[in-house]
Amino acid sequence: MATIPVPAPEAAPAETSGTKIAPVVVAFAIGTAVSIGLGVYGRLHTPTGYAVNISGFSSGPAAKAALASVVMLLAIVQTVTAMAIYGRIRLRGAWLNPVHRWSGRLAILISVPVAVHCLYALGFQAYDGRVIAHSIFGCFLYGAFVFKMLILTRDDSPGWALPLAGGLVLSGLTALWMTAVLYFFFV
Amino acid sequence: MKHRSPLLTLAAVAVAFAVMFTVNMLASPPGSSSTGTAPPAAQTTASASPGSQETGTAAASPSPSATKSADDSKFPEKVVYAGRAEDGAGAIAVAVLGTQAAGYFCDGRSVESWFRGTVTGSDISLKSKDGATLQASLDGDHLKGSLRIKNERVRFEIDEAKKPAGLYRARGSQTTIGWIVLEDGSEVGVQRTGQDSTPAPELDPQNPQVTVDGTELDAAPVNGNEDL
Repeated sequence: MATIPVPAPEAAPAETSGTKIAPVVVAFAIGTAVSIGLGVYGRLHTPTGYAVNISGFSSGPAAKAALASVVMLLAIVQTVTAMAIYGRIRLRGAWLNPVHRWSGRLAILISVPVAVHCLYALGFQAYDGRVIAHSIFGCFLYGAFVFKMLILTRDDSPGWALPLAGGLVLSGLTALWMTAVLYFFFV
Repeated sequence: MKHRSPLLTLAAVAVAFAVMFTVNMLASPPGSSSTGTAPPAAQTTASASPGSQETGTAAASPSPSATKSADDSKFPEKVVYAGRAEDGAGAIAVAVLGTQAAGYFCDGRSVESWFRGTVTGSDISLKSKDGATLQASLDGDHLKGSLRIKNERVRFEIDEAKKPAGLYRARGSQTTIGWIVLEDGSEVGVQRTGQDSTPAPELDPQNPQVTVDGTELDAAPVNGNEDL
């Protein structure tokens, strides 16, 4: 017997219109585990203070700041295309989805050397507020990313899941950028 | 319906992480150098020139590059390192002059210790009069090591401090004050008079004079070879 999709309000948002909450919870749990895992690694691993330098920059931090800024720009592209896909801004075209996908892939790949340098050379540190925030957001970002990728694998997630995941990634990245690059250049 | 491309993206990112980590592990000079100087030099060779490994032939001749990397890991003739300890336990400064080195650790409130010792290759081994020890070695541009004070181990990894950052000391008849001035301009210092330790008064590195109990004391940068 087919149940008529009743627009039940907040009480049970998960069960409306055939969406499933369980995979979202699982994806969130996996993302959380990734974040915690990164944090634990960053804390336990003795930072080497050294990592492979990326040539062409005046210093390791400058290279990281430049790469992180490219990632931040791509994240803005991500936000704009995502808003267009969701119809929040007037922008249409077949290019939106590929641009969103590939700018995201590019962004996360570019972020990897930066994150590895942070984790491997510096570790999870807590010697002042900025550094502890940066350490936490760094671990948070990749957990949020894993969460978002897992949400994307299914069509039956609730409608709010993907924007939530994307928003978490964007917030994490913005916080990371502000606690590092902004500080590096302007403070 | 399920989509696989996000999983492929995830996998690609995981692979990218693994590759970067592997490259870094191969390339990192060994952190602790208690094993002596030869093995670190050999390992640094394998890493410092990833290009030569690709060509294959250059990697087969380790001795010239080993000499080169040994040179790379030498201290400058005169250098000061300063920075905060891990976990914010305090600040550390180490001054090197030739084969002599001096160090200072303090928490900015009451704990402090002055260290003296020598430099051997890329290693520094210092001791304080009250039995605290400090071991560190050069790791790229950083000085990395740990110190043991009152049965507490404090790890650190500190960078070269360019003036006005560095290590300063003032000495009066009763009072000794140490300051570590960090690159960002912040200062961590302790003043000791007899057995009393208190936070140090503010130091202006451009005009290093402080007044303690009505007496003017001159503070001087610590170079590494002075008696402490």
